[in-house]
Amino acid sequence: MRLYGWFFLIFISPQAVAVDVIVNRAVAGNSLAEASARAFFGMRLSKWPDGRPVQVFVLPDAHPAHVALCKEQLNLYPYQLRQSWDRLVYSGMAQAPVEVATEEEMISRVATTPGALGYVRKVRANDPVKILYVD
Amino acid sequence: MLLVAALSAAPVGAVELGRGVQAHGFFSQSLVYTSDNNVGGKSDDGLATDMRELGANLSWRPNADWLLSGQVLARWAGASDDGDPRLDYGFVDRSLLSDGDTSLGLRLGKIKNPYGFYNTTRDVAHTRPGIIMPQSVYMDRVRNFYLAAPGIAVYGNHVTKRSDISWSLGVIRPDGDDPELESLFLTQQDPGRFKGKNSWLGQVLTELDGSRWRLGLTLGEVNMQFRPGAGSAFGAGSSRLLPLVLSLERNTEKLSLTAEYSEVRNSGSGYGIPGLDDTNTLLAWYVQGTYRPAEHWRVYLRRGEIYVDKSDREGVRQTVVPPYAMFAKNWTLGVRRDINEWALSAEWHRVDGTLWVSPLDTPFRPVNQQKADWDMLLLQAAWYF
Repeated sequence: MRLYGWFFLIFISPQAVAVDVIVNRAVAGNSLAEASARAFFGMRLSKWPDGRPVQVFVLPDAHPAHVALCKEQLNLYPYQLRQSWDRLVYSGMAQAPVEVATEEEMISRVATTPGALGYVRKVRANDPVKILYVD
Repeated sequence: MLLVAALSAAPVGAVELGRGVQAHGFFSQSLVYTSDNNVGGKSDDGLATDMRELGANLSWRPNADWLLSGQVLARWAGASDDGDPRLDYGFVDRSLLSDGDTSLGLRLGKIKNPYGFYNTTRDVAHTRPGIIMPQSVYMDRVRNFYLAAPGIAVYGNHVTKRSDISWSLGVIRPDGDDPELESLFLTQQDPGRFKGKNSWLGQVLTELDGSRWRLGLTLGEVNMQFRPGAGSAFGAGSSRLLPLVLSLERNTEKLSLTAEYSEVRNSGSGYGIPGLDDTNTLLAWYVQGTYRPAEHWRVYLRRGEIYVDKSDREGVRQTVVPPYAMFAKNWTLGVRRDINEWALSAEWHRVDGTLWVSPLDTPFRPVNQQKADWDMLLLQAAWYF
């Protein structure tokens, strides 16, 4: 049993990214540093490096894809992201991300909004969005 | 009707009123029971209901470089705040630089002052670490003074692989027109008025390892002038406050530990009263542990202490106010349950000292009605969008 567990840890976990960060296809680049991703989703940076505005889309706090984004891609917990938004939004220093209800809606909003940034658990081959690799 | 339709159609957490326009709002109502001393109305052996907050904000981002924000707030708090609506903040924000790692910008207008972790959203109940702010570092009796002020601020943010540093520096003119300022600085009401003079406040916040650690430093110089009125008991004095706040937080999935320590050096001159034309250092701190046993639940325990005069903590070297009105030490135990856009909380306080009890609610003159040892129970329902 223990050996079986180690097998999973070594061979399965490193590849098991449960959520993909996606952007509108017109956004330049293929990767994003973890710290920058945290700043974009935390609404602390509002422009892409080329100067175009970022539009962040999120799923509800308890959605499995949101929890996975926070823990696996941003290295924080959902409550911290929520606190960070609240501090900015109720002091007027930034706007809140736009919340969508489902992953299907996430894909369609990201596909049709210039500068859009979001995430889903699985991007299919024909989805009209681009994956951004967080490293 | 339109508003109701807009609210019901909007995603949770915001109302989008058009491209780049957002609206948010909040409301809270508290019930207060105290064993002695009045807080938020007649709470002494009764249930006070005069503690309430109502606010709404609008923001507009016409393009990536500009942001316009404004918030209106009405606040009720016993005899010290009567619910008059006021502009809480209103400013223009211009982004000067944003290259993916670093940003720099300018804010002009009435801006929320950075002071510790929580000052900028202290009137928004669900963003506070408890039902009321930790009264040591964030005493409500000086809230208006530190809260927001007209001025100009530069701010920036810089991300590196392991850290996120944000900072701001503002030149402001604080709001001195507040009866609580007189009761605190002059220890009595007076026909004269305080007026804020040129001041500055700056803050640096660093988040390490994905916000598992948060560190903050707030520094400033806040100046005000006293303008005597007809029959004033005081001369045209001025006060200079030099605040320092150190903030530290450790976050894990279930537990957060927050500690803040502050010292405010206060120098007065020209009042013509020996006790006021003097320098003293106010000292305050609190430590809070917040445990999240399950999703939507939190339980917290806090110890906080505040002393008007660091060198006379028990208040025995002065005779102007009762000794125990020179400090407050308290334990706070609270629980909060979040249900959708509601935050429901209950909080119990065991307090030694009356420094953060407003004399407008519980006077110590002509007859001293304040009691040194007291308990307080608070219940609160807060709603936000």
